[in-house]
Amino acid sequence: MSLKMFHVVFVLCSLALTIGLSVWGFGNYQVSGRPVDLFYGIGSVISSVALVIYGWVFLKKLKHISFL
Amino acid sequence: MANAKTTSHGTSADQAHDHHHYEPGFWSKYIFSTDHKVIGIQYGITALVFLLFGFILMLLMRQQLAKPNQPIPVIGPILEKVLGTDMVNSGVMQADLYNAFGAMHGTIMVFLAIVPLAFGAFGNFVTPLQIGAPDMAFPRLNMASYWFYFLGGVVMLSSFFIPGGAAKSGWTSYSPLASIADMAHWVDGQTLWLIGMVLLISSSLLGAVNFITTIIQLRARGMSWMRLPFFVWAQLVTGFLLLLAFPPLEAAGIMQLVDNLFGTSFFLPTGLVVNGSQLPVSGGGSPLLWQHLFWFLGHPEVYVLILPAMGIVCEIIANNTRKPIWGYRSLVYSVLCVGFLSFIVWAHHMYLTGMGTKISTFFQTTTMMISIPSVIILTALFISLWGGSIRMNTPMLFALAFLPMFGIGGLTGLPLGLNATDIYLHDSYYVIGHFHYVVAPGTIFGLFAGIYYWFPKATGRFMNETLGKIHFWGSLLFMNLVFAPMFIQGMKGMSRRMYDGGATYAGNASVLGLNTFISHAAIGLAVFQIPFIINFFMSIRSGKKISSDNPWEATTLEWSTPTPPPHGNFIKEPVVYRGPYEYSVPGAAKDFSPQDQQA
Amino acid sequence: MEIPYTVKPRPDTGLYNAKVGIWLFLASEVILFGALFSAYILLRVGALDGVWPNIKNAWPHGLLNIPIGTFNTAVLITSSVTVVFAWAALKMNNFARFRICMVITIVCALGFLCIKSFEYNEKFTHYELRLKSGKAYTGHIEVNGKHPGFWDFGSIYNLARLETDKVEKVKFTADPPKAKPGEKHDESTPKHEVMEVATSDIAHLDAFIPRNHTFFAIYFLITALHGFHVLGGALVLAWFTFPGSKMWLTEPERFINRIEVGGLFWHFVDLVWIFLFPILYLL
Ligand code: HEM
Ligand SMILES: [Cu+2]
Repeated sequence: MSLKMFHVVFVLCSLALTIGLSVWGFGNYQVSGRPVDLFYGIGSVISSVALVIYGWVFLKKLKHISFL
Repeated sequence: MANAKTTSHGTSADQAHDHHHYEPGFWSKYIFSTDHKVIGIQYGITALVFLLFGFILMLLMRQQLAKPNQPIPVIGPILEKVLGTDMVNSGVMQADLYNAFGAMHGTIMVFLAIVPLAFGAFGNFVTPLQIGAPDMAFPRLNMASYWFYFLGGVVMLSSFFIPGGAAKSGWTSYSPLASIADMAHWVDGQTLWLIGMVLLISSSLLGAVNFITTIIQLRARGMSWMRLPFFVWAQLVTGFLLLLAFPPLEAAGIMQLVDNLFGTSFFLPTGLVVNGSQLPVSGGGSPLLWQHLFWFLGHPEVYVLILPAMGIVCEIIANNTRKPIWGYRSLVYSVLCVGFLSFIVWAHHMYLTGMGTKISTFFQTTTMMISIPSVIILTALFISLWGGSIRMNTPMLFALAFLPMFGIGGLTGLPLGLNATDIYLHDSYYVIGHFHYVVAPGTIFGLFAGIYYWFPKATGRFMNETLGKIHFWGSLLFMNLVFAPMFIQGMKGMSRRMYDGGATYAGNASVLGLNTFISHAAIGLAVFQIPFIINFFMSIRSGKKISSDNPWEATTLEWSTPTPPPHGNFIKEPVVYRGPYEYSVPGAAKDFSPQDQQA
Repeated sequence: MEIPYTVKPRPDTGLYNAKVGIWLFLASEVILFGALFSAYILLRVGALDGVWPNIKNAWPHGLLNIPIGTFNTAVLITSSVTVVFAWAALKMNNFARFRICMVITIVCALGFLCIKSFEYNEKFTHYELRLKSGKAYTGHIEVNGKHPGFWDFGSIYNLARLETDKVEKVKFTADPPKAKPGEKHDESTPKHEVMEVATSDIAHLDAFIPRNHTFFAIYFLITALHGFHVLGGALVLAWFTFPGSKMWLTEPERFINRIEVGGLFWHFVDLVWIFLFPILYLL
């Protein structure tokens, strides 16, 4: 697996993390009602979106490098 | 090329000249060499020294078992001077020293003698030659691997001389015993044991990465997977076992080190009472965790001990029966299965820990499963003998003896793998008998076979046949006299690891006599190693010279290099045209067709 | 004969030697961290009830600093992005950009370690106190007018130390009862309770350090091991970026391979953190 492929895997794992974090944040907000938890959730959603966009740009930019 | 007369040292050096010639000095040629053959020989010599040392420890322990609490003649007073009166008092071995010797015997034999000899020495010397490679893929890592091993050995040995002496908690170092065995000293033998193990683990990690990469990447042109000699397959699987089984022990080792030095409680349960008072630690740890992590390494490790020997035996049997190995493919698939299954049988060492019957059942099932591929390998090797015109030289004698000896070891393992019978047999001399049959007359015979077989490749001379046969018959006889009675002792219920040889238990009375018998047999075994030592050194200087580069008329690639192989091994890039064991091919001019001989 | 495939990939496997080597090494690292994760699970599941202050299960939970942990996660993710861009820059023959990206990576690595040591310090100066009366607190202590710190290890106190030093009482500033994530915050409780505690009333006192609890033991062990990986990786990358970059002029292809191998290791180290963070901090 080349660095390119591993980077894709890495971004996917990070994405899983940020999605998890947003679930965690919103979940806490429902119970505690603290704004911190809400911001945490929102921040994580924004990071998830950013990661998706980044991954897409990455794949486009490095199109000519092999996955192997 | 395969049948060329011996290429003298001069000519092969001249041919190497074509590329770039350098004349390394003594240090870079023999000590800090990156040549796989030199490193292999370094491994071999160091490991043989450790093998002898581990054996001597055991002889001293056998003396104590045969004559409990009586002074050891001659050596007792010397040990007393060197190790102090805590360890030897008026020439009598103390319990602490017996325990230290026991733990170090196991550790040295497994991690410093057999694995380095089987994997480090034979793997290094033979594997690149057999696949037609100029060297290992990472020569400098290879050298580092040896030096880590060496350092680990030095640390282990030095632990005898620190206050409190070497580790005393068995080669398995179970916690909490290992943490509380020597609480008077902050840095004790166990600490050095753990540091030594971390060094050895680093060594085998580097080695494993190197071997696997070499086998995947550096195979010669035409050397497809199904043309690999079985020895190389065995080394490949061994490499994976070392690579993936050792890290948990490394983790566990670090945890135990922190427990012992900095007062954490990874393996110390809540409310642990030592010498009548509660240990001042936080508790909350799990002794079972150590056992799981240890045996996750421990079981694959036993296959690390046996697979290279199987590989060697397979090469020698093919060569000396002059016919192809029966069922080469089933051998390959079996060894892969063994490798995979060996990762999921570890808790059969833990039936008595109360981990639960469901878990026991699972591990009992996998243990029975793993014996199937092992039996296939053994059977294929037995059938290979059928109808061969067998040459009874020394390597072949050892290889032949390996088969029944390993068979006994494996079969006696089955009752241990079954939960119900193991409850009775666990931790008894039966277990000692079982695994020694596998490693001593099994693996060690395989390794001896390999030494006699590849000696001409490394030195250009044969070892002496007469001395070899004396060595073989004496060893075969005494190995059995040593280990067979242990089954009887164990079935009578005699526990292992007791420094009075079990005399305190009335139930052992009927088998105590065997202790003396075994000890005498062990001395006999020692005597019959003398011909080997003499033979080894004598043959280097004055053994019978080989008359061709391929003295055994073998088929595999290591015999198509000059003797001894120069730096870079092959004069011309080898190309492989056929499988590894094409002996007595109908219609061929000779009874062997080397792999690089064009069809 | 020379060793083949040190630079060019072997046709049938498609890989050069070092790439096979690093992946094998990483496989073994996966098992190493896997073993530690398993140890974490086993210790946590086996923890007894009711030993840690105010917590039912004796597994202290919610003690780690989540905002800082989150920030550190972002730092590491960034460093992985820049390391890939460094590699891609070399592939496009742009050495200057390679260097910039690499420097950012190394700065991120060092930043991660600085932040981590700040977190460690927080733990080394934070105390658990249980009184003989059965009351239990967490907070900070003051002994003889001094706050024990991180940098002089000798000054971490526990009960035995107080007794041998013949300290008669300590000043203890208890933490305000903190709402744990997911719990309703109770505003009515007082902020900081400051008290004088006589040594003879103490049943247990120790900092948030490994010997105090298996949670801290495993937390410090795993994160320290990870920290050493970060440090080692950063050193190697720094070597590639500065003294080792001479190879770019002589053997560019081999140099690119090196950067790729270094990048693979770096990704692995970051990936470990991506698993560590939620498991240690959140769950
Ligand atoms: C396929 C056949 C085998 C089976 C079914 C088997 C089974 C077992 C079992 C269940 C035990 C634990 C006994 C106990 O502690 O109560 C054991 C111990 C042991 N076996 Fe095997 N085994 C086999 C092959 C091997 C091989 C190939 C080796 C390699 C050298 C080996 C080396 C050992 C060692 C060193 C121990 C002792 C560990 C200790 O110190 O407690 N065994 N075996
Ligand atoms: Cu086993």
